[in-house]
Amino acid sequence: MSKSKLALAGMAALSVLTLAACSNGGQSSSDKTVKLPKAYNNTQKAVKGGTLKIAEVNDTPFTGISDPNLLSNAEDGDVFSPSTQDLFNTTKDYKFTNGGPANFKLDKSAKTITITLRDNLKWSDGQPVNAKDVEYAQEVMAAPDSTSQNYSDAMGQIEGMDAFHTGKSKTISGIELPDGDNGKKVVIHFKEMSPMMEYAGAGYFSEYAEPYHAIKDVPMAKLASSTQVRKNPLTYAPYKLDKVVAGESTTFSPNKYYWGNKPKVDHVSVQVVSDSAIEQALKSHKYDFTLGTLPTSKYPDIKKTSGYKILGERSRSFGYFGFNLGHFDTKKAENVSDKNKKMANVKLRQAMAYAINQDEVSKKFGNGLDERATTLVPKFYGKLHNDKEKGFPLNIKKANKLLDEAGYKKSGKWRQTPDGKPLTIKFACMKGSSTLQAAEDDYLQQWKKVGLNVKYVSGKPMEMNSFYSMLQAPSSDKYDMYLAAWSVATAPEQSQAYGKGAQMNMGHFVSDKNTQYLNNMDSAKAFNSSYQKKQFDGWQKYMNEQAAYIPRNEGIDYMPINKRVKNYTSLTQNQEFFADIALTSNSAATK
Amino acid sequence: MWKTILRRVLIIIPEVFVLSILVFLLAKAMPGDPFTGSINPHTSLAHIHHLMKINGLYDPWYQQYWNWLVHLFHGDLGMSYEYQEPVTRIVGERAINTLWLAVFATVLTYAIGLPVGLYAGRHQNSRGDHAIRMYTYVTYAIPFFVILVMGLWIFGYLLGWFPTTGSIGTNVGSGFPAVISRLQHIILPGILQALFGLVGIVQYLRSEVIDATHSDYVRTARSKGVPVKDVFKHHVFRNSLLPITATAGYSITGLLGGSIYTETVFSYPGMGLLFVSAINYRDYTVITALVLMYGVLSMLGTLLSDIIMAAVDPRIRIE
Repeated sequence: MSKSKLALAGMAALSVLTLAACSNGGQSSSDKTVKLPKAYNNTQKAVKGGTLKIAEVNDTPFTGISDPNLLSNAEDGDVFSPSTQDLFNTTKDYKFTNGGPANFKLDKSAKTITITLRDNLKWSDGQPVNAKDVEYAQEVMAAPDSTSQNYSDAMGQIEGMDAFHTGKSKTISGIELPDGDNGKKVVIHFKEMSPMMEYAGAGYFSEYAEPYHAIKDVPMAKLASSTQVRKNPLTYAPYKLDKVVAGESTTFSPNKYYWGNKPKVDHVSVQVVSDSAIEQALKSHKYDFTLGTLPTSKYPDIKKTSGYKILGERSRSFGYFGFNLGHFDTKKAENVSDKNKKMANVKLRQAMAYAINQDEVSKKFGNGLDERATTLVPKFYGKLHNDKEKGFPLNIKKANKLLDEAGYKKSGKWRQTPDGKPLTIKFACMKGSSTLQAAEDDYLQQWKKVGLNVKYVSGKPMEMNSFYSMLQAPSSDKYDMYLAAWSVATAPEQSQAYGKGAQMNMGHFVSDKNTQYLNNMDSAKAFNSSYQKKQFDGWQKYMNEQAAYIPRNEGIDYMPINKRVKNYTSLTQNQEFFADIALTSNSAATK
Repeated sequence: MWKTILRRVLIIIPEVFVLSILVFLLAKAMPGDPFTGSINPHTSLAHIHHLMKINGLYDPWYQQYWNWLVHLFHGDLGMSYEYQEPVTRIVGERAINTLWLAVFATVLTYAIGLPVGLYAGRHQNSRGDHAIRMYTYVTYAIPFFVILVMGLWIFGYLLGWFPTTGSIGTNVGSGFPAVISRLQHIILPGILQALFGLVGIVQYLRSEVIDATHSDYVRTARSKGVPVKDVFKHHVFRNSLLPITATAGYSITGLLGGSIYTETVFSYPGMGLLFVSAINYRDYTVITALVLMYGVLSMLGTLLSDIIMAAVDPRIRIE
């Protein structure tokens, strides 16, 4: 349910719209980060009722869009999370499973997904949630006049979606309601099936329902600004919205029509608290836990706060370096690698990767929460991460050797191109925190050690919009390499960021082997998990060899939980997170 | 004078027109657009182009400007791309928050700043003056942000005297309880803002009073035997206040400008944060509306300052 804007506080980040709040949080023995528990087992007896107080850590007011199909930033997802619920439960790998508000069935041969709503699923006004509500959710995301920014290319895989999205058809022909509008079953027909369809957050269809009976008369273009979305949204989640104070707080009370476990507390409030104030707010025991990402820099102080238990889970943030290796052919809608690009030599790229000391940077600035990433598939993805790959640990000797072998000989202080011309590498990155700037300066110094003259594009880190404008241009010679980050989606989809046709493959890296791996990972054979794992492992190894993108860092998100909170677990797969939360005291724990 | 005021108001109209074109063009000249800030690997760039198209962002600038102008005359400032609701509604919500805080802080700033400044000037080199100077130097030396965080920590969290976040309590109804809650929420940020804001007024006023004390007309009054108290009351204070009065008109722009620092630290949704986020996310409709509004307010502020000056200084006449 959380969706991130590009400018994540404190880091240069390209972020990803994602559909679940928490990661699977697996920590392996190879982790260099601190070990934090994923759940808080409070054995005290719960008191009846009470008010759960949550802080949303953010420096800007939220926009107030409660509809998960329409919102486009993480803050709105967070502040409305008690009244938002995915239709499906998921496994710890974020694969859909049954038992939630709806059941999920994928039929490879028929190329369909069947969604079956539970019989007792009701909106907070007592009306049943029915098939039409699921169909309308797809329309809200895809309608030509919808303001939703969440429509993805993957949704175009639904039969008839293209015609609907472009306004040529008034309905989506690939959505079938076998028992009619008021039935409980929805069958979605796809052109092609992908193993990613089994995962939450893959973007092939909306994983929410819309209260059609309440919003059918609201024009699509005005839905996001309507009172049905902003003031009185209907929900099938455990809590319903009572009040929203624009940009600053939301309050909720139990939804008496909720299908699952009875909500335990009388009220839930979510208040926006700034980065600068959150530490003191926690020390004053004002909140039971936080939503949003807490700054890594505050971890040493926050972990000492009395009355709180610190939990942690693998972060979805993943930093990397990219190289400008080609361009995007807009006519053919595909990336093209150019052998004449400055960074086309694989040994040059590998040398740059080995020259930086990311282990030390993570240790210095990460407060134990950050570590060097070793492959392009972060540990968030659990078993799909290739543990055997070691990535690019500091090795100046190897970096020099690679550069020498590739013909980048030194002439005085700096190395030259193999044909004897001066070599200056233009490095693009975004303005961020002071620690990020220090890390970037360190990278430049490390590259200097191996004789590479790397300079910031325009002499300094760039303003966010200028940075993205440059990176997203089909072709640009303004930069040779860049530093960015993704907040990865829960679905381990890779082709949309690294594929031949992917516009987000901003380094324009293309090779037959890469395409083959990505196709294999997305193929029907990859429904078999061991085959999928083999392909993922192979691809990670291959991408490290090519060093077209260098994995930089990943880490742990931490959450302080007041010790009066019961049943807190970072695992949201059962969708009953908020329904299960209880309090063991009417006042916050202070010790 | 009324004719002059009317003429000045009429001149503002073409000025606003030129300003609106400049603002519109400059906003569009910034790199980026309102939608690419939300990209992710799943994003359909074709969909981004579609959103750009249906919002008219690919139209020539003059056509976009014309559309905007037509809507403006219908009282419609457009839809915010970021907030996905009418700009008038967002600005209205934020302006009310900002006004509450700004009016309180401004009144407090002048209510404390004027007497303190006059006192310091009147009693130059006294213990009180030294204390006031020390306060102004120290306060000026500390970044405003730090003052806010320290104030929040001490009076909000440590002592628990004031609410620490937002503009109103989470579960407060409407009517009188809402007013009380709003007042409670503006006291701490308002006082901190005023304690910082009055430094300039105090220092300025103090030096004005000291200058005036040594001027010829004061010496003349004193030599004529006018009591010191009356000299200060009728001559020094009045003349010293003139420069402060001259800028009073401009403060109406400040009333709606908001304070980014105060709003950030107290999570207080006001105009300052709205403006910054609108620029960051290229929310053109909001940027244009706000800059235009500030422009108009500045023009009116200038006029107001002239009128106030004419009212308080008999030597100045608007003709």
